[in-house]
Amino acid sequence: MSFLHINNVHKRFGETHVLKGIDISIEQGDFLVLVGPSGCGKSTLLNMIAGLDSISEGELLLDGRCINDVHPSRRDIAMVFQSYALYPSMTVAGNIGFGLEMRKVPRKERREAVDRVAKLLQIENLLDRKPGQLSGGQRQRVAMGRALVRDPQLFLFDEPLSNLDAKLRVDMRTEIKQLHQRLGTTIVYVTHDQIEAMTLASRIAVMRGGELQQLGTPQAVYDDPNNLFVAGFMGSPSMNLIEARIVERDGVPVAQAIAGDTTLTLPIVRDRQALRDWCDRDVIIGLRPEAITDPASANHREGNIHEAELPVELVEPTGADLYVVTSLGGAHINARMRPGTPLRPGERARFAFDVSRMVVFDPETEGRVRDERTADVGDVLETA
Amino acid sequence: MSAALPTTRQGAATRAILYAILLVFAVIYLLPLYVMLTTSFKTLDEIHQGNMLALPVEWTFAPWREAWGSACIGLECNGVHGYFFNSIKIVIPAVLISGLLGAFNGYVLTKWKFRGHKIVFGLILFSCFIPFQIILLPMARMLGVLHLANSTWGLVLVHIIYGIGFTTLFFRNFYASFPDELVRAAQLDGAGFFVIFFRILLPASVPIIVVTIIWQFTNVWNDFLFGVSFASGDSAPITVALNNLVNSSTGVKAYNVNMAAAMVAAVPTLIVYILAGKYFLRGLMSGSVKG
Repeated sequence: MSFLHINNVHKRFGETHVLKGIDISIEQGDFLVLVGPSGCGKSTLLNMIAGLDSISEGELLLDGRCINDVHPSRRDIAMVFQSYALYPSMTVAGNIGFGLEMRKVPRKERREAVDRVAKLLQIENLLDRKPGQLSGGQRQRVAMGRALVRDPQLFLFDEPLSNLDAKLRVDMRTEIKQLHQRLGTTIVYVTHDQIEAMTLASRIAVMRGGELQQLGTPQAVYDDPNNLFVAGFMGSPSMNLIEARIVERDGVPVAQAIAGDTTLTLPIVRDRQALRDWCDRDVIIGLRPEAITDPASANHREGNIHEAELPVELVEPTGADLYVVTSLGGAHINARMRPGTPLRPGERARFAFDVSRMVVFDPETEGRVRDERTADVGDVLETA
Repeated sequence: MSAALPTTRQGAATRAILYAILLVFAVIYLLPLYVMLTTSFKTLDEIHQGNMLALPVEWTFAPWREAWGSACIGLECNGVHGYFFNSIKIVIPAVLISGLLGAFNGYVLTKWKFRGHKIVFGLILFSCFIPFQIILLPMARMLGVLHLANSTWGLVLVHIIYGIGFTTLFFRNFYASFPDELVRAAQLDGAGFFVIFFRILLPASVPIIVVTIIWQFTNVWNDFLFGVSFASGDSAPITVALNNLVNSSTGVKAYNVNMAAAMVAAVPTLIVYILAGKYFLRGLMSGSVKG
């Protein structure tokens, strides 16, 4: 039995069907990130776990106990809100201790618990201030302190970093991750930022339009996306999606894409069984920017590198990497190369494709074309 | 603001004209108050000499003492002090109770929305537009049934009922911009309906509480129509007593006593304005302007 079990949960607001049967299970100590574009239902799902929204259909189990009809305050859940929701008229100490006060914890114990959490979050010197006198990052810490002090079974975070500036956001992200590692708490975290999802999660649930698109480890979601949406949503810069055609060559399927006036042929390594049935049909192939690189940087050991000469359209140095834009299958594609690779727009250059990382999608259903699930990427994948 | 003012000569001239006009209007508004005050400190002889705008030649507090303690209202000659305390007895519970009920209404209408909450708010708001005169007869009947006719408590009830419309409007609009997440956070922390209201919302409502107090205090204190209709004799409020004082004829019109009594009637609202006035605009503006 898993620790938090979301079993076929639906949410309807009148006629609108906001959540269409969500199934997610996580274990104790997991860091689950619900990620998706706005309106995908991730915040609604979080509010339902908190008990702030009712469940139209389905079941919510926490540590084996059905909490569908349990009052929010008795679910043993604490939540950090997007706006921090600090009580404006109370001091920081009052804010952190309020939940304990409501639970009739004696004043002395309360004080100790508040001090302990304040020390953990390094906000001891702020305890007598009002929220209005705090900076964004400090408010964020107080909001986390208010959740931590109750030592609940489950923590919920609703886009907690979205109100911070870019630099502080990265710092707080690190702190949240450290906190999770140190305390081993179970966390459900909502964000629309896929980088936050990748860096924090032990499990990612990608959602769209009230449906779960994929649930898995960050690496599995990144390397082995279930469909075009997940492939495009996760990763920055996003996965190159190239129109191609599967043809048979020497008895094995290969993918062909139009590259200017020639045709690029890429051998197929993954999902070969399934793709046998796709010969002479159009597909969309997906390749991460880092799977297309300069021949010198490519990992030749595994023998899955396929080189081709393509025109360079644009060069974008970021310092750490050099992104090179070329055109394939009628679309611009991004290749990630070593900085300092001597390339100029208009030249032709050799690109190395790591075809072992290539994934293939059905353009009609937008789903993956893949072999029956095996331990293909080395990760155990959850069925969505 | 001052940094953005024009510093050219033309700008200075414009400002001078502006201030002159403002000054004229301020004088026009303050002149009656000035006449009231000076007259209340003059002897009757001095008043009869006719120079209304002159300062008193001989300052006297006798008119104030008489107005407070011995002026005749109808047949009784005890001054207005009894009626002043009647008004206090009416205004304090009326303001507190109508304010509290309005705050509760605003809280429920914004944070515990129920089916039809918009209609309920619309109906409460509608009560703001009902003229006083319309409800005089039904209210008189109701007070009779409740055995509250001719009592200060009857007037308290009338003012509470009449005030709820406005106080609800004030608090609803204030709480509409109060973040829902705070209420949700408090719920998760284990706070109930009343604890959330008294511990979280109410302490953060000082600006709108001040607005409500000023508004209700002024309305209830200055009310004449309800007072004259539903309370007579000993339970009348000061506005009614003032009217009766002025109309009680004892031969000579004691303008100085009348003015002193009028000042007594006006002082509490002035004090409330002076003490809390700066919050008034701030409170009314809250929610509409950020910062």
